[in-house]
Amino acid sequence: MSLLLLYLDELKGYYKSKVMIILWIGLPLLSILFNYLNLDTEGVPMSYLVGILIASIGGILSSVMLSTSITSELNHHVYELFLIRPIKRTHLIVAKFCAVYTCIVIATFISLSFGLIIDFLKGGLPNMNIVIHTFESIFFTLAAIAIACAAGILIGINVSNVAASAILSVYLGGQLSILSVLPSLILPGVINPIFFGLILGVCLTLILLLIASYIFNKKQL
Amino acid sequence: MSVNKPPIIQFKGVSKKYKDLLALDDVSFDIKQGEIFGYIGPNGAGKTTSIKILVGLISNYEGAVFIKNILINKAKKDLHKFMGYLPQEAGFQEWRTVDHALKTFGKLSGLKGIQLEKRISEVLNTVNLLNFRYKKIAQLSGGMQQKLLFAQAILNKPEILILDEPLSGLDPTSRYQIKKMIKEFAKKEVTILFSSHILSDVQDFADKIGILNHGKLLQVGSPEELQQKLDVSHIIEIEYKEKSPFLSHLDKYPSIISINNETPKKNIQEIQLDVNSDIESSIYILLQEIINQKAYIRGFNLLKPNLEDVYLKYIKDDDK
Repeated sequence: MSLLLLYLDELKGYYKSKVMIILWIGLPLLSILFNYLNLDTEGVPMSYLVGILIASIGGILSSVMLSTSITSELNHHVYELFLIRPIKRTHLIVAKFCAVYTCIVIATFISLSFGLIIDFLKGGLPNMNIVIHTFESIFFTLAAIAIACAAGILIGINVSNVAASAILSVYLGGQLSILSVLPSLILPGVINPIFFGLILGVCLTLILLLIASYIFNKKQL
Repeated sequence: MSVNKPPIIQFKGVSKKYKDLLALDDVSFDIKQGEIFGYIGPNGAGKTTSIKILVGLISNYEGAVFIKNILINKAKKDLHKFMGYLPQEAGFQEWRTVDHALKTFGKLSGLKGIQLEKRISEVLNTVNLLNFRYKKIAQLSGGMQQKLLFAQAILNKPEILILDEPLSGLDPTSRYQIKKMIKEFAKKEVTILFSSHILSDVQDFADKIGILNHGKLLQVGSPEELQQKLDVSHIIEIEYKEKSPFLSHLDKYPSIISINNETPKKNIQEIQLDVNSDIESSIYILLQEIINQKAYIRGFNLLKPNLEDVYLKYIKDDDK
């Protein structure tokens, strides 16, 4: 019960944040801008490009947002007011992760929808293979973002300086999130890249969240 | 009064170490139901550490802490239901409004619906913040934020209220208002632990006082007990119209410890009396001598040791 309450509460906080406004409005606008700039996409549909864009920007932004907000909130003793109520420390972390991840997923689908609309207005929907390929990339993207978010939480809990927290999450979060595409790069054609990418994404995210939760439970506030 | 009531909070041999620093050293005390416990000591004495242990924010320590005879580490979640806590330092996320923050904390404490709405109005009214209900917390002044912290602490109608330096950094008006609120709350049979590094903050309403220094609990007792325990001499302060008369020869009396003619204040003489002596006889001797010497006096005050003296004596003795 407290997890749901905390999740909805965090969601309220994040969806109004400046970073989320960039993701929710800025990125879909970028797809329109690309169209007006008449960028040479070498035949790659706009929806696909937007998907890739979200993957790179969204992953890093979410990781930085989580790490810096946790570091800052720990420094300002924000969690003490929560933890003196009947809730679990782990719920605080999981709620934060879920809230940011939900916002990113929504931003991804809004942007993708914009891309598809632009493609449609330019000359009809791209062929089915390209659409499927786009959605496959989105799955990779979401797995990578999940890893980046979990890394952001782990960094936020352990680093006491906000700037250091941001820098670390840009590098470490970004590097770790790439792991989700490794199976398809190392063993192309041998394994189903979507399936293994997702499995790796989920497992790595869970491991990072478990470590973060363990450390947060032991942490003296 | 809480004389025959059972202890609701018990610290038993609690010690806590931060690397090489012994923050708490074998601290033991108990607080009875409905009692107001003033926990005093200088900055860094270990007050916040003890409080954080009590509210379950620190779980790695030696000894045992019980609330209602339940070991706190075993049932933290249940115990939080009837506790209210005002931390020494606490912040709110900047996007929250007063209403939103209290709604979140209320829901997490188990309140909901109309009951929660009503309770939020009540507590905001208590702390005079009702007009700021929909304001962002970041826009409130320091004093208002402290009142909001008090409001969140009493939101769930706690049986135990733990206040860590609730008056620090406040202007005199806010201090008065928060003190008044604590007194009001104390009338409702709530057990209150109130920490401060300023004795005057707690001496008005504390049933029991614990003096902590360097992690050690030096004394625990009622304000009267602490005063009685302490061997602090009484001082008689005499203000003369003109120059002080010569009284030095009176120090031959066993009850008079010293006579000080060189006080910082003009025409004022201080006579230090043995606390265990017959004070009335000493006063008689002094007055007679003043009459004999035909000295005119403007004031004659017997200064008994107050709690501030008691506190300073214990802290100074411990620092030696």
